[in-house]
Amino acid sequence: MTKETIYRDILLEHARHPKNSGRLENPGLSASVHNPLCGDELELSLALSGKLIQDCRTMVRGCFICQASASIMSEMIIKKTLQEAIITGRLFDESLRKDNEDVPEIVEPLRPFLALKKHRSRIKCMKLAWDALEECANQDKNLNHT
Amino acid sequence: MPNHPLISQARKDFPILKREVNGYPLAYLDNAATTQKPKSVIDAIANFYENNNSNVSRGVYTLAEEATEIYESGREAVANFIGAEDSGTIIFTSGTTESINLVASAWVQKNLKKGDRIILTEMEHHSNIVPWQLAAQSYGIELVYWPVNPEGRLDLALLEELLTNSVKLLAFTMVSNVLGSINPVGKITEIAHSHGVPVLVDSAQAVSRMSIEVSEWDCDFLAFSGHKVYGPTGIGVLYAKKERLEEMLPFQGGGGMIRHVEKQSSTWAIPPQKFEAGTPPFAQVPGLKAALEYVEQYGIKEIERHDHELTEHALNQITEFPDLELYGPSEIQNRTGVVSFNLQNVHSHDVAQVLDESGIALRAGHHCTQVLHERLGVPATVRMSFGIYNDSSEIDRMFSALDRAREIFLH
Repeated sequence: MTKETIYRDILLEHARHPKNSGRLENPGLSASVHNPLCGDELELSLALSGKLIQDCRTMVRGCFICQASASIMSEMIIKKTLQEAIITGRLFDESLRKDNEDVPEIVEPLRPFLALKKHRSRIKCMKLAWDALEECANQDKNLNHT
Repeated sequence: MPNHPLISQARKDFPILKREVNGYPLAYLDNAATTQKPKSVIDAIANFYENNNSNVSRGVYTLAEEATEIYESGREAVANFIGAEDSGTIIFTSGTTESINLVASAWVQKNLKKGDRIILTEMEHHSNIVPWQLAAQSYGIELVYWPVNPEGRLDLALLEELLTNSVKLLAFTMVSNVLGSINPVGKITEIAHSHGVPVLVDSAQAVSRMSIEVSEWDCDFLAFSGHKVYGPTGIGVLYAKKERLEEMLPFQGGGGMIRHVEKQSSTWAIPPQKFEAGTPPFAQVPGLKAALEYVEQYGIKEIERHDHELTEHALNQITEFPDLELYGPSEIQNRTGVVSFNLQNVHSHDVAQVLDESGIALRAGHHCTQVLHERLGVPATVRMSFGIYNDSSEIDRMFSALDRAREIFLH
C-alpha cells in the first residue's frame, strides 16, 4: 500500500515562502546546527526582551521538510519565552513517539509533521530548527550561570 | 535497449526482489551502499549454522575441523578472486573500514614518522580519510590531497608533482562511490612505486563491477567489503603484500593472534592470523565464498559489460533533461554504474523520498564524501547505483518518477 505522502500542501507552502527567513543583526542569541546525515545547515537568531522572544530569523540550507519546519517554528515561538518555546518543541517530540494522532493544542501547527512517524529517518530534518532553539537555550543557561 | 540474456536471469536469484514497495515492484538502485543477496549466499550461511557451526582454529573435534577448513577455503577463494598468489596475504576483517584502519594503525605506527606525508584523493569515502586523520594526529603526519578535476577524474600528471620525498603512502579508491570514475590502479601504482611509495587501494565499489588483479597491479594493500559484492555484512578483506605484512605490528590484541602469552608480554602468530584477533567472522566466510562463486558463475567480464550498458543508458537519459545536473564524467569510458545527480532547486532527500513512493530505492545525501561534495560545491546529491539484477526499465522508471518530484516541488 502506498504510504501517505509527507509533502502536505501546508508544508510545501511554508517551504516555498518561508516566514521569518534571514538573519537578525545583533541577535541576543544565535546558533548554527547541522545534520550530519545530509550536511544540511540551519542558523537561528533570536531577539530577546528579558526572557521573551521578540523576533527570530532562520537561514536554512536544507530540504523541504527542514525549511518548512524552520518557518513554522519561527511563527510559533515569537512572543513566547525561551523556556515555553523549548517546551513546545519537546511536547511534539512526545507526540511523535505516541501511537495515536493526538497532539496538544499548543503544538497543533506541527500536526502535518506527524506523517514523519512513518518516515523516521526524516524526523532529523524536521528537528533541525528545534535543535538550534535548544542550542540557543543552552547558551542562555551558560550566560546566566557564569 | 536489450539486456544481456544471461544477466536477465540473475534477478530470479535474489528473493528480496520479489517484494513490492508502496505498491510497486522494488527497483533497488542503491548497490553502492550495499548489494542484495542471492539465495545461494543466504543458504550457505544458513547451512553453516545448521551443520558446521563451531569456532575456528581452536578445537580438535570434527565440527571444529570442518569449520576451520571452510574458513581457510574461504581465504583461498578470496585470494583466487583478486589474483593474489598466496592466501596468506588475505586478512579477514569486519569490512573495508576496518581493513583501512588496520593499515592506518598497524603499518603506519611502525613505518611512518613525524613530517612524513600520505597522499589521499579528494574523491575518497570517509573510510579512506578519517583513519589517516587519526594516524596523522597521533604521529605528526601530513595529509596531502590529489585533486579531482572538473571532469570528476584524477589527473595523473599531478600525481608526479605530489610524490615528493616525504610521501610514504598513497591511498586511493579504485572507483568513486559518487562520481563513478574508475581510477587506473596499475598505472597509478607504477607511478607511485617509481617514487618508492607504496599504495593502498580501496576497492569497495570496484569489487562487484570489475576484475581485481592485485599481483598484476603490484599494489601493496587492497581493501573491500563482503556486503558490496553480494555477500554478507560483517566481513571484509585486507590484502597486503608479503613484504608489507612483515612490516606490520599487530592491530588488535586477543585470542588467535598470539604464539605465546606470558604475564608481561607475548609473541605473535604469523600473518595473516597475527591480524585476526578474537573470534573471526567464520559464519560469514562461507557466505562470502558463495558470493564470489556467484559472481564467477556469470563472469565478472559479463557483469562489467552489463554495468557498462546500464551506465550508458542512464547517462544518455540524464543529458536529455536540462534540469538535471550530473556529477562525474559524462563520458562512458573508464566509468561505472554509480551515477549521481541533482534535480535543480530540489533537495536530494526530497527527491529520494518521492521516488520511494514509487518503489524506487536510491540514496540521497553526501554518501560519506564530504570532502568531495565540498569540491562539487553542493551539500548533497541523488545517487543511483547498479547491480547485476538491475535492468534498463528500472532506470526508465526512475526518470519517469522524477516528474512527480517536479510536480510537487516545482509547480
